[in-house]
Amino acid sequence: MASETLPASAVLAEITAMLVEIVGDEYLLADEVTPATTFNEDLALESIEFVALAELLHQRYGDGVDLMGFLAEKDMEEVLAMSVGDLVEHIALSTSRTAPRSASLSTSLPAAG
Amino acid sequence: MAEVLANSLRFHVQRLPAPADPDPSRPVVVFLHGLVVDNLSSFYCPLALPAARAGHEVVLHDLRGHGRSERPATGYDARTAVADLVALLGALGLAHRPVHLVGNSYGGTLALHAALARPDLVAGLTLLEPPLSGPWVENMLDTLSAAALSLEDSPVPTELHSLRLRKAAQLTAVADALLNRTSLIDDIATSRVFTPGDYARLHCPVLLVCGEHSELLAGAREFLAHAPRCVLEVLPGLGHDVLKESSGVLRTSVLTHLDAVSGALVS
Repeated sequence: MASETLPASAVLAEITAMLVEIVGDEYLLADEVTPATTFNEDLALESIEFVALAELLHQRYGDGVDLMGFLAEKDMEEVLAMSVGDLVEHIALSTSRTAPRSASLSTSLPAAG
Repeated sequence: MAEVLANSLRFHVQRLPAPADPDPSRPVVVFLHGLVVDNLSSFYCPLALPAARAGHEVVLHDLRGHGRSERPATGYDARTAVADLVALLGALGLAHRPVHLVGNSYGGTLALHAALARPDLVAGLTLLEPPLSGPWVENMLDTLSAAALSLEDSPVPTELHSLRLRKAAQLTAVADALLNRTSLIDDIATSRVFTPGDYARLHCPVLLVCGEHSELLAGAREFLAHAPRCVLEVLPGLGHDVLKESSGVLRTSVLTHLDAVSGALVS
């Protein structure tokens, strides 16, 4: 999985679906999530819910995106202060780096809404 | 969500990606969190991810009734907690692997119970601010009972329309359910206080970490005086919450200790 190239818009859609699954669609609708949405301020995500998200991300994207390394540099406060776009950017860049070719075309993020 | 059935209960478990070729003679690092408002996520950034990155196999789980694990009405005593842990390790296929337990606060107390009950299983301990001796049971019962009453007086709102209310309500609901609708407080009341004789028969290496201003420091010093292989690290300027307040210093100490325990077992 780590060798596929994913456009940032596709990663954003996948992370959004995971967030809706974790938080519940009675609280969060997919079209409310943008790259500028922050985990703590906007979503009020609990740290245990972020751990659940990290698990889903690891299952989906595998070791190639080195999510553990990305998160290990931060404490939980810093992690939850991130925006969805920060995470999308890391994953999109990682998948483009490990993809065999055509990577540079697919890393731009959609504008924050 | 990773759910594992053990001791007839559904546990929320997180196993961090293991090294590509795990060495079965190295202990698996298992984290045990504190009471009521705590869950496995407290360890995630400060210790669990760094331990996994340093090459250790890591298992985190929410204790019975906590976090995203199932919440039965009974079984919050230390003996059942040890049975839960042993059953969980068995369900994960780790029954014959040595484990290193890292316990925070009451999770440290449980880790010590496990090491005394199953010295064949527990190869090492890291205890962060564990309540061990002295009046901790009475103090904790006072705190928990007061919290239980206040939660009873302010019921969780059932009509929620915002994400922020959802978070507050979830945190409150877990505490209310544990304190007012399980045997947790009664079970804590039956806790056995450790004795110097318990410490003396503990032969695995122990890293004990306490805050300089913690009221649990006296108990930690008593432990140090009797446990044959204990190192006590007192973190200056800190109270009880060493896990949250001191990630950098604590991380280095814990990783060094984990490496030493693993190295001693392998060599």
